[in-house]
Amino acid sequence: MLMVKNPFRNKTRAILAIIGISIGIATIVALGMVTGGLQNSTQNTLKAGSAEISVTKIGSGSFGSSGGTLDESLVEDLKNISGVKDTAGILRVNANISTTSGGGFGPMGGLYLSGISRNKLNMVGIDSINGSFYTENDSKEIIIGKTAAGNLNKTVGSTINIYGTDFKVTGIFETGNFIQDGGAYVSLSTLQNLTSNQDKVSSIAVKVDPDANSSQVSQSIQNAYPNDLSATTAADQANRINQSLGAIDTASWAISLLAIIIGGVGVINTMIMSVYERTREIGVLKAVGWKNKRILGMILGESIVLTLVAAVVGVIMGIIAVEIILNFMPSSDSFTPLLTLDTLLKAFAVAFLVGVIGGLYPAYRASRLAPTEALRYE
Amino acid sequence: MSEENIIEIHNLKKNYDKGNIKALNGIDLKIKRGEFISIMGPSGSGKSTLLNMIGALDRAEEGSIKVADIDLMEKTDLSEFRSQEIGFVFQMHNLIPNLTVLENVEIPMYEGKLNSEQMRERALELLEAVGLREKAETNPTKLSGGERQRVAIARALVNHPSIILADEPTGALDSKTGDIILKLLKDLHNKEHVTLVMVTHEPYVAKMADRILNVFDGKIKSSS
Repeated sequence: MLMVKNPFRNKTRAILAIIGISIGIATIVALGMVTGGLQNSTQNTLKAGSAEISVTKIGSGSFGSSGGTLDESLVEDLKNISGVKDTAGILRVNANISTTSGGGFGPMGGLYLSGISRNKLNMVGIDSINGSFYTENDSKEIIIGKTAAGNLNKTVGSTINIYGTDFKVTGIFETGNFIQDGGAYVSLSTLQNLTSNQDKVSSIAVKVDPDANSSQVSQSIQNAYPNDLSATTAADQANRINQSLGAIDTASWAISLLAIIIGGVGVINTMIMSVYERTREIGVLKAVGWKNKRILGMILGESIVLTLVAAVVGVIMGIIAVEIILNFMPSSDSFTPLLTLDTLLKAFAVAFLVGVIGGLYPAYRASRLAPTEALRYE
Repeated sequence: MSEENIIEIHNLKKNYDKGNIKALNGIDLKIKRGEFISIMGPSGSGKSTLLNMIGALDRAEEGSIKVADIDLMEKTDLSEFRSQEIGFVFQMHNLIPNLTVLENVEIPMYEGKLNSEQMRERALELLEAVGLREKAETNPTKLSGGERQRVAIARALVNHPSIILADEPTGALDSKTGDIILKLLKDLHNKEHVTLVMVTHEPYVAKMADRILNVFDGKIKSSS
């Protein structure tokens, strides 16, 4: 009862302390939401039906278009390797597009355009579509990701001009992966002809047998073509992205630590003032028989109540901040921030810790007050 | 310790300021269970210090003090003793302003074994006894000085103490309100058979007691 009522006796002081702590908490929540959203997007690349291994020419990245191409014949050859269930050749280019809306999009102002056989789209995580898939045989049809559609302001039936050719948008897909959803797909043969890459692919997606180990299959592929091919499992790729996310995570922890220190000092100050003002009251509590332990608990409890309220305020502030910032970013819908339980727990754990650290010394001081002196205090 | 005496003090000494101030300079005192004692004396004579020693708010340097069969020179944790045996009434009521009247009266029971429902019942019983039951949910800041002191008396009695220690309980009140408070204290003293030790400046207040002790320079000069 006292623990809940006391922290708000001096409202201005309580509000200032809460603002101080909640800014730290808001930062933790905002960073957590960004990391969570990116992590979630990465995990979507691992979804069922997709290829587990990506094969590229040695020395080129999986999304690269100029890193070197492979002969399309390899797509069939790889099927002979033990454990390989299916393969799909993919040609990727960073296409310059002419658009009436004039807005630049994507890295270097282009559109990640991939060519793949219509019946192999499930291997890149596209199972369903709003509209219809393109037809094969050098059609001038294209499907685009939801994010790309939003940014280019295209709907089913619109046309997109790529390398001087008009493509008709037949469908819009969504995979949950922000890189995929910012791109577009046409049939493999169409893209090969358009970019003069006949019989060439930039990567080969490999799906392994259900009972085979993808790491082993990946190794077998590299062993079979030691000088030509580099194979990466989806798990490897996800790990690599997670490692970069780990850097954000470290930054988030550093900010948490800073929040604990700054918030802790603020709470110590607030609670010392509060104890100082209530010296006489604490004397009365001692006179009526309260044990030192109970007084310590009361002050510590008040401090924790204060910081937990700050945590609630901070979480709300963090969510609002992320929404506002994303609203002002040009490619804001390229990924969705995600508030995970982990982030929430972390925010509340930090707040709790600040409450304990900040409350400990004032609580100790209050519990050690001599009752006669406390009662004499004016 | 005699069955009759609830307080037995022998040659009690207490110094302040590194021994320069002898607040208590060899007090000898016996108080019977159920007695009403007034302590008089000029400012700085040591009467409040004596009260604090009986209430175990402070420790003496020398001598012996036994209250309700407990040796206060020996016992290390005195909070339980204060909670069970002593009820304090201060000159300034010392109520907690952000709690209701009822919650203020409940405070001493937190160290006890009653559940919240029993605590509430007991607090209301005491508020009834001091005539403030209908103000249970009121904030003490909205009460008059006399009403606040009545709440403080209810708070002092809530744990069934054997001794009430009142330090100038009427000092901050006008004489009419002071009389009401004194009458209430005396009635409760009679009804609850509690020992009442009261420090006062006013001779007419002191005369209501069974016995008056005059304290001077840290010693009891006379007892009448």
